[in-house]
Amino acid sequence: MTDEELTRGPRPSFGFAHASEAEFARILDFYQVNWEYEPQLFPILWDLDGNVLESFAPDFFLPELELLVELTTLQQRLVRKKNRKVRRLRELYPGLRIKLFYARDFRALMLKYGRSALVSELSGTLGQVAPHPGQSDVDDSAISEDRLGGLERLGANRRDADASGAGQPHPNPVRRSRAARRRAGRRAAAAAAHQTVTFVTAILVTAAVTAVS
Amino acid sequence: MKVTQDLLADVAEVLLTEEQIAGKVAELGQRISADYAGRELTLVSVLKGSLPFMADLMRRISLPLRIDLMEVSSYGGTGTESSGLVRILKDLSAPIEGRDVLLVEDIIDTGLTLNYLIRYLKGKNPRSIKVCSLLDKPARRLVEIPIDYVGFEIPDAFVVGYGLDFGEVYRNLRFVGVLRPEAYES
Repeated sequence: MTDEELTRGPRPSFGFAHASEAEFARILDFYQVNWEYEPQLFPILWDLDGNVLESFAPDFFLPELELLVELTTLQQRLVRKKNRKVRRLRELYPGLRIKLFYARDFRALMLKYGRSALVSELSGTLGQVAPHPGQSDVDDSAISEDRLGGLERLGANRRDADASGAGQPHPNPVRRSRAARRRAGRRAAAAAAHQTVTFVTAILVTAAVTAVS
Repeated sequence: MKVTQDLLADVAEVLLTEEQIAGKVAELGQRISADYAGRELTLVSVLKGSLPFMADLMRRISLPLRIDLMEVSSYGGTGTESSGLVRILKDLSAPIEGRDVLLVEDIIDTGLTLNYLIRYLKGKNPRSIKVCSLLDKPARRLVEIPIDYVGFEIPDAFVVGYGLDFGEVYRNLRFVGVLRPEAYES
């Protein structure tokens, strides 16, 4: 271990969707285990034309350990959904190592570290920073293939994210699905276009009125 | 945390009896004695949980050896803020350069502490580092580290005794038992 590694400080806070994720990241930081938050999206279901219908972004990737970790501290219904996604991921990408951390695992971890008071606070819906759309799991579906850009090597884009400032404290800690972000982007672009048209129209009208007068 | 005066009352089930532990420790001692014959062995005990195991194991190894103790801070161990980094609370008292080191642990579950310790000790240039753990809880493993000597693989339960604690209590039980949920939920 180098001196630099030994003196490495905790990372800045992140836009986590659930308080348990933030706590898990703090534990990893404490033990100086490098992590990346949702660095990669894996398509797990396609239609007959090859369009991606469903994909899965595990919560953490630990690059030194080559391990993906998914935390499931929410309702049983979501646990079943995540179980199915993890099963599918293992079938499609047998080379990947993924660890599903259930609520009971997280609870045991908290007990081990003498933080039992935090268990109820960090588990279930109480620990959610914000409800996911429709109270469902992260909706990674309906993502165009160009956004997926093939399966890059895991972890390659975290450093890019850090370099671009994505690792800085998130202004809005709500985790939205990529589809929702894309819809929001389209709405913003449409609004901007509308504003531009209105602005240009106003200038033309003003110029016409000035010319007439 | 509410601590009862009767430690046994908080134990739901005896997982490993005193006799089972003693038998396994003797077996491990024999294996280690055979494997390290003619080498310069240092046993490093990771405080505090491995203390009873270390004390019993070293007396079952029939080789000249050195012992040393280390202690590292545990996440949330201060009971205050969880921020910060793992720290060496007690470092080795003698150099291990060129020596064969056997890390003696009470239990390995996530492997996070062990991962840190091995990285740290490798920086001190020992000839080799191996791991001996009385208990292994693979269900909780995050960091896959080869454990060279394992006493017992145990199920995913909260265990105390023979050095293992909950809130610094129960270490002095002579067996390993499963703690009643009421004991840690109260």
